[in-house]
Amino acid sequence: MIIRLASVVALLLAWQLGAQASAGRFVIAAPSQIALYVMEHAGLLWRATGVTGWAALQGFVWGNLAGVLLALLSVLVPRSERGSLTLALLLACLPLVATGPILRVLYGPGQGPQITLAALAVVYTTFLPVLVGLRALPQGWADLIRSYGRGPLALLALVRLPAALPYLIAGLQIAAPAAFLGAMVGEFTGAERGLGVLTVRALRALDLPATWTIAALAAALSLAAFAGIGALGRRLDLAPPEILLARPAPRSGGLGEAGAALLVALLLWHIAMEAFDLPRFFAKRPGDVWDYLVAAPGAEAHRAKLGAALGQTLAVALPGYLAGLALGAVLAAGLVLAPGLAALVMPLSVALRAIPIIATAPLIVWALGRDVAGPVTVVAVMIFFPTLIACLHGAARTPRAVLDLFDSYDAGAWRKLLLAQLPAMLPALFASARMAVPAAILAVTTAEWLATGRGIGALMATVASTSDYGMLWSAVAVIGLAALATHAVIAALERAVLSRTNPEQLAR
Amino acid sequence: MTLIRPSRREALALGAAALLTPRLARAATPVTLQLSWLHSVQFGGSYIAQSAGYWSNAGLDVSLLPGGPNAPVEPPVVAGTALVGISAADYTAAAVNQGAPFRIIGVAMQKNPFAIASLPGNPVNTPADLVGKRLGMALANMPVLEALCALNDIDVAGIEVVPTQYDAAPLVQGQVDCLLCWATDLPVAMTMQGLDPVTMLLADHGYAVHSQTYIATEASLKDRRPELVALMKGETMGWTDYEAGPEAAADLTVQMYPDAGLDIETQKMQALRQVPLMFSDLTRAQGFGWFTDETVAANVDTLALLGKPVSADLWDRSILEEVHG
Repeated sequence: MIIRLASVVALLLAWQLGAQASAGRFVIAAPSQIALYVMEHAGLLWRATGVTGWAALQGFVWGNLAGVLLALLSVLVPRSERGSLTLALLLACLPLVATGPILRVLYGPGQGPQITLAALAVVYTTFLPVLVGLRALPQGWADLIRSYGRGPLALLALVRLPAALPYLIAGLQIAAPAAFLGAMVGEFTGAERGLGVLTVRALRALDLPATWTIAALAAALSLAAFAGIGALGRRLDLAPPEILLARPAPRSGGLGEAGAALLVALLLWHIAMEAFDLPRFFAKRPGDVWDYLVAAPGAEAHRAKLGAALGQTLAVALPGYLAGLALGAVLAAGLVLAPGLAALVMPLSVALRAIPIIATAPLIVWALGRDVAGPVTVVAVMIFFPTLIACLHGAARTPRAVLDLFDSYDAGAWRKLLLAQLPAMLPALFASARMAVPAAILAVTTAEWLATGRGIGALMATVASTSDYGMLWSAVAVIGLAALATHAVIAALERAVLSRTNPEQLAR
Repeated sequence: MTLIRPSRREALALGAAALLTPRLARAATPVTLQLSWLHSVQFGGSYIAQSAGYWSNAGLDVSLLPGGPNAPVEPPVVAGTALVGISAADYTAAAVNQGAPFRIIGVAMQKNPFAIASLPGNPVNTPADLVGKRLGMALANMPVLEALCALNDIDVAGIEVVPTQYDAAPLVQGQVDCLLCWATDLPVAMTMQGLDPVTMLLADHGYAVHSQTYIATEASLKDRRPELVALMKGETMGWTDYEAGPEAAADLTVQMYPDAGLDIETQKMQALRQVPLMFSDLTRAQGFGWFTDETVAANVDTLALLGKPVSADLWDRSILEEVHG
């Protein structure tokens, strides 16, 4: 206890000294400056936190509700799963630069866009684990229900829903920081108050104490939500999920099924814009994008421009994505070997996920360079958190009997990790690889917009400022297709690997 | 519609308005003005119009909608959720080239606020000083730099452009030698932090692009003319007060938007620095927001350099003529 306290004090001291030594360079705010800022602006911070927190909470509720309902639909009507998955993934990949103006026009002033963006940030990452949970039932139980002559609804109420609860808790834990971040960036669409507004103000005013205070506040709140949801799970006496996120993507079902799902998504896109009577000037329909990229004059130049940007983006996104997955898995393995580290690693991980990327990305890029290392690191930082959580849950489900066997042979911790716990992590790693796709896209486009000036992120920022909404929505469509393709590749890889290591995961 | 007690001058204005305008039986007409950025003294004249009742006396109930990093002005104006938006001639020209039916009906910033900010140890005082420097800017502004170079016979290839986020950090951290920014925000922030930045206004080197322009759709110009006139009349009165007391406008801004995180000293400095951009001999002679055929022609030339060709018809003076007539 004393040692821990001493190490915290030492850390704060080092931070303070580091900040003072580099004061002229405007990089780090000292803890004393943060404390002073909090004292001087307590009322302002309190009100802003209330506004943003309330929007985040509402978005959290609506987004998770939508995620759960989509998962329920997928279980009750298995044919709908591909469509639900496609829809949830595409919604999660919508860039703010395209949705911002539309949401503001739809809602007018107020909290609408903030709440919607918080909700969109969590639908996909809740949908996936809950779907796994709804399916994670021993076959015997299903047979038992059936032998009593009861139907799928009884199965759902008596077995599936209780079985899904631990998975829901895990999903909610991942969702909490995402919803908070969603509400903050929602304020970028034109808001009068909130932590997102204060962040923009502080960055522009070169106000380091304010920037760091807001980042610390966002991190602390997300941490509290993360811990609170975890505690709620324990209070409900829920064992951690047994096979969290384990379900591989549905067997490909052929191109036909994927094509049908895509067609549904395109239809929804068109119908939604028509239903709200959004002007074509900034709300391009699928047909407009087709014209822009294929049919209209100049389409070839448009395609070339978009293709070049996409290539630049993938060159950053893929290494960052793989690095983030590896970092999450390695950290999880490290925590399995040395559980004591969790007290240090977990808060840091939640914090990095919750601090607005527009505040962290410039710092990371400044420290590591604009060319490759910086942007790749920004992507990795954004996606390692869900991977870490999922892999930890995965390792925790290593069958007790297997661990006992290793113990009885007096096998070392490394051997146990390598041969028992890592294979147990694999399904979770693959699932988190699928969950991380939208986060990787958000991160890479933000880094490109703020730091490198290349790729799709920079292209979208540029064309948005010149009202070139044809190019903007073409970029949105291409991003969506890239996300779906990435997801399909991971799912195929997952099936190939798990059929060797974890064949039970492929049984349906 | 506002709870702020009117000052003596405002009370006089209220009284005068009550005498001059027939009492309107109908409720005030709701109108939205879309601002181009978060609330700050950048829109101080509008806040004066709001709190002094310059709009409510004319039968308007004006909502001031803040902008933000992801809040472009053009969509709400096209969609009709905002009657008027505060844009800039280059943004408006781009939107018009994409098919938006806009007209510029007033010009708040006669001189474009774009500037090159640098530090005194390595200053940029003229466009020629840019050669060999690392310039931090959003790549979206590349046409601005190219236009500046073309206007001043400088080879743009001699400048090393570094894509950066829009804040002063890259400059003070030494990542770049200079920044392309507004003269009224990042240099003010640096000054408040105790630095002494050098600013070179692009407008002083041939870059003629009207900024903080009022835009409305052609349909609104036809169908909602009385509201447009009343709105611009309020703006004119508000900004005329602003010119007389920019620091009072900063006080009002902080008072009206206590949650915006504004620092009063920063706001006062910004308020003073935008005065020479907004008011000139022309506005003092003709009235706030005015533009002439000559200033429009200069804009058309610069916009052509920016790759945003427009005709002089984009500007429509009829609303201002009614306001100042």
